[in-house]
Amino acid sequence: MGTTAAAETEGRGEAVGEEDGAILQLLDSLDGYISLMGSLSSSLRQGWLELSSARHSMGNSRISSTLFDMKPHSSATTVDLTVSTGESPSHDADQAMQPHFSLLKWGSRGDEKSPSVEVDGKTPSQASSCSGRTSCGLLLLKTDDSDEGGISATIYPAVAADNQVRKKRSKALSMFGALVPPKLRVAQGSFETSLEAIIEIANTRSTILSALGRLQTVDLRS
Amino acid sequence: MANRVQIPTNNSALIAMIADEDTVTGFFAGVGNVDLRRNTNYLIVDSKTTVKAIEDAFKEFTTREDIAIVLISQYVANMIRFLVDSYNKAVPAILEIPSKDHPYDPAHDSVLSRVRYLFSSESVSSGRR
Repeated sequence: MGTTAAAETEGRGEAVGEEDGAILQLLDSLDGYISLMGSLSSSLRQGWLELSSARHSMGNSRISSTLFDMKPHSSATTVDLTVSTGESPSHDADQAMQPHFSLLKWGSRGDEKSPSVEVDGKTPSQASSCSGRTSCGLLLLKTDDSDEGGISATIYPAVAADNQVRKKRSKALSMFGALVPPKLRVAQGSFETSLEAIIEIANTRSTILSALGRLQTVDLRS
Repeated sequence: MANRVQIPTNNSALIAMIADEDTVTGFFAGVGNVDLRRNTNYLIVDSKTTVKAIEDAFKEFTTREDIAIVLISQYVANMIRFLVDSYNKAVPAILEIPSKDHPYDPAHDSVLSRVRYLFSSESVSSGRR
């Protein structure tokens, strides 16, 4: 009798602990969600303003949806989706899934940082000459301006990847004409920033729904 | 902590948009997609767009397997609020975004509404205990 009561108390304690954990996670995620929405609003406002400036310089008809490329083409930026499934029971199978979204901007991961190494204090763009590519696609640069008077060679990561992204960005704007105003390029950057915020919001939403599911499960059990 | 199994899904999913022209124009260069049947991943909503067209687009985007996120301007979501609030799947994620003329209002957001509902029902049920 005594052990049953103790086990019941322990079980109740665990449920309360689980509920507290889910509530804390939920409140944290909610705070993050609302802050991210604020950031998104800010970057979108910036993008709309720059788009309007570009329209002002090019003319309304030069930047409109009528110019969208309707030939079959795939999106330059996509989303990579990974789904986690928890073992904790849930009354709803969808709530048990917690998707994680990551952005593949211009065909590459948005969170990848191309590492850069300086050559004698110079960045790749400042180096005097370019000697060519290695077989793995890295750029080998040489500079003749070192203080020691010698040639120092350092392998840089693929700057070509940055050039590729730049080309894709320009190609994406080509539907508005061969020459586009700088404001349009800046607007493109603002909308890219918005996309990053959107991915974070999607992940936060997924955490909120997961915490909600856990709370509902704990509530049902109790 | 429950064991979590990572399931890598078929990557390269799309972002769909149901929004005003400026928002779609801004995003189209990056995320616009047109397939061989000329199906697109966006709907531009203007004064002539009917509620039925918005509902159809919402239903289409939320059932397509190649779409991971659906962006919908909040003022458009308000036109089909019942449909948006009754949507409860994890994927695709429905995100309500502000538009140029209608700032984001947390009071109408479907995710926040669900949290409010849970806490209001929690407070009711804890009062009964």
